[in-house]
Amino acid sequence: MLKKEQNDYITQTGPGTPMGELFRCYWLPVLLSEELPEPDCPPVRVKILSERMVAFRDTEGKLGLIDEFCAHRGPSLWFGRNEECGLRCPYHGWKFDVNGQCVEVPSEPVESGYAKKIKLKSYPLIEKGGVLWTYMGPPERRPPEPEYEFCAVPLKQTYSSKRLQECNWLQAMEGGIDSSHVSFLHRGDLHNDPLFKGAAGNKYNLGDLSPVFEVVESPGGLLIGARRNAEDDQYYWRITPFVMPCYTGVPPRGDHPMHGHFWVPIDDHSCWAWSYDYHPTRDLTDDEVAAMKDGKGVHVKNIPGTYIPLANKTNDYLMDRAAQKAGRTFSGIAGIGMQDASLQESMGPVCDRTKENLVGTDNGIIMARHRLMRAAKALAEKGTIPPGVDVEHQKVRQAALLLKRDVPYAEGAKEALKAKKGVRQTSV
Amino acid sequence: MLTESARMSTAHEAGFRIQEPNSKQRSIKVIALDPASAVLVDQIAKDGWSGASFFTSLSFATQKNPDSASDSSVQAWLNDLAGRALDLMSEVSACDFVVVVTCAGEDARAVTIIADACALYHKSLVSLVVPQEGMSEQDVEISLKHLRPHSRMLVVAQGIDYIEVMLSALRAG
Repeated sequence: MLKKEQNDYITQTGPGTPMGELFRCYWLPVLLSEELPEPDCPPVRVKILSERMVAFRDTEGKLGLIDEFCAHRGPSLWFGRNEECGLRCPYHGWKFDVNGQCVEVPSEPVESGYAKKIKLKSYPLIEKGGVLWTYMGPPERRPPEPEYEFCAVPLKQTYSSKRLQECNWLQAMEGGIDSSHVSFLHRGDLHNDPLFKGAAGNKYNLGDLSPVFEVVESPGGLLIGARRNAEDDQYYWRITPFVMPCYTGVPPRGDHPMHGHFWVPIDDHSCWAWSYDYHPTRDLTDDEVAAMKDGKGVHVKNIPGTYIPLANKTNDYLMDRAAQKAGRTFSGIAGIGMQDASLQESMGPVCDRTKENLVGTDNGIIMARHRLMRAAKALAEKGTIPPGVDVEHQKVRQAALLLKRDVPYAEGAKEALKAKKGVRQTSV
Repeated sequence: MLTESARMSTAHEAGFRIQEPNSKQRSIKVIALDPASAVLVDQIAKDGWSGASFFTSLSFATQKNPDSASDSSVQAWLNDLAGRALDLMSEVSACDFVVVVTCAGEDARAVTIIADACALYHKSLVSLVVPQEGMSEQDVEISLKHLRPHSRMLVVAQGIDYIEVMLSALRAG
């Protein structure tokens, strides 16, 4: 349970809020590369951390992320013409470069220097791993570029998708930390989903519905280990890394690609749910990519031309009560992504945590909230750089493995939890 | 026309949530397993928790450590902050769950008796390990090794503030 003021503290991410300032310490994914496919392509609206912007790729291929609204009289630059190394407002022809600098005010003589005095807020936008990332903090504290493994491997080894989720970022992210729901909400998918099925480890998930959890702080956030009974005096461990502020990795199954998420606040009532899949040592197969595009695994099928899920609240998430009753799905909703999103959106735009009743096995969530609030406070009061900014904190892997019962997982999985180039994942 | 899911997940509709309490008062037993954690437990208890009782040690009726609290030849008591000795079994049977606290490197084997009581009454046992200054990872692992077979949830907490945060989250306040 959180008090109202604590809930406000941790859920609000707009400019000037403590959690908003925390998010602004990090590179955050904002667009897929496919959204700005080529130089001079149409600009795209971007809203994250309650700030509205437009992104564009200029004539020379340089990326820009600038204030959405023309400095003249405020129309949206989404209507802008992307031409000759700038975005030109169609209203009166004012033009801005990728840094937000106004480079033309047609109504004023060039010699007046008027344009030089006009500059829109802009943020750096970089491309890595098929994703466009931005950093919205002070330029002097700009961190090194992200080095999560999924964006560091060759492009043929990685696939990312995003979808709109119409609720606060935190209740979405807590689903990634709380793996105890998998044995219930997602139980139908372990057998059927092409990106999960067939792994030897699945039998432990299905055979032991009461995993025991171990949570330890890691340099970048947390490690959450879930253990289930296995044969020969062993435990089957599934270890989830949480890297602040909003990254989680789902422990792998067999040789399937590894997946995980980011939850990036759009505003306090909505977020982008990013999902990635990658394999550290081989290209993704055509079948795997096709499955991901088809909304299998952690990905979701979106309405064509949008990043809005096909199954959403406007169609009751395509609820199938017959499938629920027959046990084909636990909640009646198809697909892992929407099974999570439907329940999380139903909590309301911002979950009222004053009414929750947590249990001991929610300590992963309790500790994640504590880590986040503590980091936001330390940043606000002392300027302390939060965990997860250091790229070494991002070079962490999820893992699934069998260990003898007397072997502590932090010891037994120590090497498995490090991202190492050319080394395959540790999986069962 | 909006679907019901679309209508009911709006901020406007969130305002109609029933405001009556949806749970009864929690009862959590917080037990220190060693003298070092007893100091921490004593400190936390000072904040006043209506839903938690704090115990700084465990004692037994026999001279040597028994194998199980359910062994009829064994009686175990929890010693509270006022110095009273309360029957372990009665305390565990009456609570919602039990939290044990140990400092890394200390002897946490008393968890066995408490775990047996929890098993008997089907109560979850949450174990918190608090690393102390100067302690190594091996010290933490020794504690985890004692606790792991018995705990439903095992947490390595970096400081006393986490224990307070956890108790608040679990509605012990």
